[in-house]
Amino acid sequence: MRTRSMLAVVLLGMLALAGSGAVLAQGKLIRLTFYYPVGVAGPLAKVIGDMTDQFNKQEAGRIEVVPVYSGDYDPTLQKVQTAVMAGNPPDVFIVEISELHTLLAMNAIVPLDEHVKKAEGGRYWEDFFPAFRENSVVGGKIWWIPFQRSTPVLYWNKEAFRKAGLDPEKPPRSWDELREYAKRLTVRDGSEVKQWGVTISGGWHDWLFEAFVRQNGGWLINAEGTKANFTSKEAVEALEFWVDLLNQEKVGPPHSTWASTPPDFVAGRTAMLYHSTGILTFLKNSAKFDFGVAFMPARKSYGAEVGGGNLAISRKIPKERQEAAWRFIEWMTSAENAAKWSIASGYVATRASAYDRPEMKVHVEKNPEYLVARDQLKFASAKMMAPNYQKIREILKKQLDDAVDGRVNPKDALDTVQRQVMAVIKR
Amino acid sequence: MRTGSRLGVHLGLIALTGVTVTPYLWLLSTSLKERTAVFTPTPQWLPWPVNFGNYVEVFQRAPFGLYLVNTLIVVSGILAVQLVTITLAAYVFARRRFPGRELLFGAFLLQMMIPIHATFVPNFLTLRTLDLLNTRLAMMLPFFASGYGTFLLRQAFRTVPRDLEDAAVLDGCGGLRFLWHVLLPLTRPTLVAFGLISLVSHWNDYLWPLIVTDTPDVRTLTIGLGMFVQQESGADWTLLMAATAFVTAPLMVIFLIFQRRFVESFMTSGLKG
Repeated sequence: MRTRSMLAVVLLGMLALAGSGAVLAQGKLIRLTFYYPVGVAGPLAKVIGDMTDQFNKQEAGRIEVVPVYSGDYDPTLQKVQTAVMAGNPPDVFIVEISELHTLLAMNAIVPLDEHVKKAEGGRYWEDFFPAFRENSVVGGKIWWIPFQRSTPVLYWNKEAFRKAGLDPEKPPRSWDELREYAKRLTVRDGSEVKQWGVTISGGWHDWLFEAFVRQNGGWLINAEGTKANFTSKEAVEALEFWVDLLNQEKVGPPHSTWASTPPDFVAGRTAMLYHSTGILTFLKNSAKFDFGVAFMPARKSYGAEVGGGNLAISRKIPKERQEAAWRFIEWMTSAENAAKWSIASGYVATRASAYDRPEMKVHVEKNPEYLVARDQLKFASAKMMAPNYQKIREILKKQLDDAVDGRVNPKDALDTVQRQVMAVIKR
Repeated sequence: MRTGSRLGVHLGLIALTGVTVTPYLWLLSTSLKERTAVFTPTPQWLPWPVNFGNYVEVFQRAPFGLYLVNTLIVVSGILAVQLVTITLAAYVFARRRFPGRELLFGAFLLQMMIPIHATFVPNFLTLRTLDLLNTRLAMMLPFFASGYGTFLLRQAFRTVPRDLEDAAVLDGCGGLRFLWHVLLPLTRPTLVAFGLISLVSHWNDYLWPLIVTDTPDVRTLTIGLGMFVQQESGADWTLLMAATAFVTAPLMVIFLIFQRRFVESFMTSGLKG
């Protein structure tokens, strides 16, 4: 097997020399490879292409960025990991923010403090929303720059509110109101549910669960990714609330997928929906009824955590390439481009000053819903991060599902999570 | 009585056909809808107004024509080389005696059990050393030999009676000629079955092509399709379905053409298993 494929390699290697490969131009021009995932719907690959084109024009003869679409977040991470391990890292890339420790464990990226300090006369970093900055800092160093960033919010169907005798302009503000409204909004026909009161979208419900814990004043994993805190009173209460909603009161579907719930909302099968800000554009294009965007209801306070992807620079590339990569990142995250990217994608603009730009002002005046996520950032904090985060997600999701199904009580479920997550972290 | 039971069988089969075909018809229907017509309280089977714009938009977002050409090159390239390698390997394992044969064959079987993901980094390194990254060949090379194909064909070869070989040898027929004129024609159903399985699985391959290629000029259909599935926001269903229709259509056509052979070969390979 081995020898046979080696033989094939040699034979076909000769053939392929004439094939179409990406041959790097030598000389003054620095050609950077840029891996990017596309996280939300819309022709975003094209937007990224247009932005890099513009950058390349501006840096003509010096830097050329080659954008490489690399799938969703998971395949992107795999592509980055494979390339790094094989000694062929992309110069710049975007991956999902919880993976910072995974990248650090591979020694894949360089800290950006020196660049950040000098950028825009020293005012660059402070301009990013604090909640977005948090996932960048580990060990006192800034490792990557916020780019495509989101946060979960609550969507509500105003028409359904009206039909249920609720004020269509008043979304629930607290967990208690949420339960109350959800009960009134659930429409049953015999044993069949015609309309759910509230849907807590599955698939990324680990992410939504963290928000509930935040609203209850707790946290799940520390910033250094070394300590898990799943058994706190705050976390157990949050899960008890889920079980209450989905298993006792049965006002929401116990299971769903991330991709199926926005269509459910649009089809009127659920009156309220927990989901990412990323679907706002989709809802606006698809819903035939009036709907609103609200902060997620509070317990002790409002609370949310951020999500999305950041821009990083590879460690194992020459210094001048890193310099060039930084020029690109600084350009991509300028207030002007942050505004442009936000308008095109529906992501929250990462910087406060992006909202002062005239084109942004026009945009949010026409669509004030886009401001809700930004305003909720005041109550938001970092998304949990840890090495092998993929594994931790799966552990948490399984126990959340089991608890919601009534197979295990919330306390025991989170005990299991704590034990298994610590085993992953310690390794 | 007999006609009655046949009627029952046919009714059962018709029901099964319905189950199989329904999702595809729904896909076609969705791909022709306006975005707001996708999610209606009562499912709407006939798209109205019919919107061919989805297909146009899909082609504007990614060079699907080019992706189709690349996919065809990759899957047929893999299959062509595989047919040579598995035939020769299976012949040796089935018909020749040499020291370490069982051990070597065991290694072949073992190779089938290694998860494909575990091979990504070493394969990537090999391709990088050969300077083959971001080429169509990079997507084909790791699959030129197939443990599964070798196993399948070896089993088929072993069912051909030894007497045939003895007779052929007596008539002065050498090993390769025997392979070409006797073994291969007799095991054609197995070859067709393997060919279709190889074709379909590499047509659907996503992660490996994504990892080893960077530019649209060498990329394949599945990567183009992946651009319409979004993690954070859910999918744009009309476009996703239009893209899916385009990506699956060639496979459908191939299957319809080879349908009879395909089923036939499964039946025989099942008997010989």
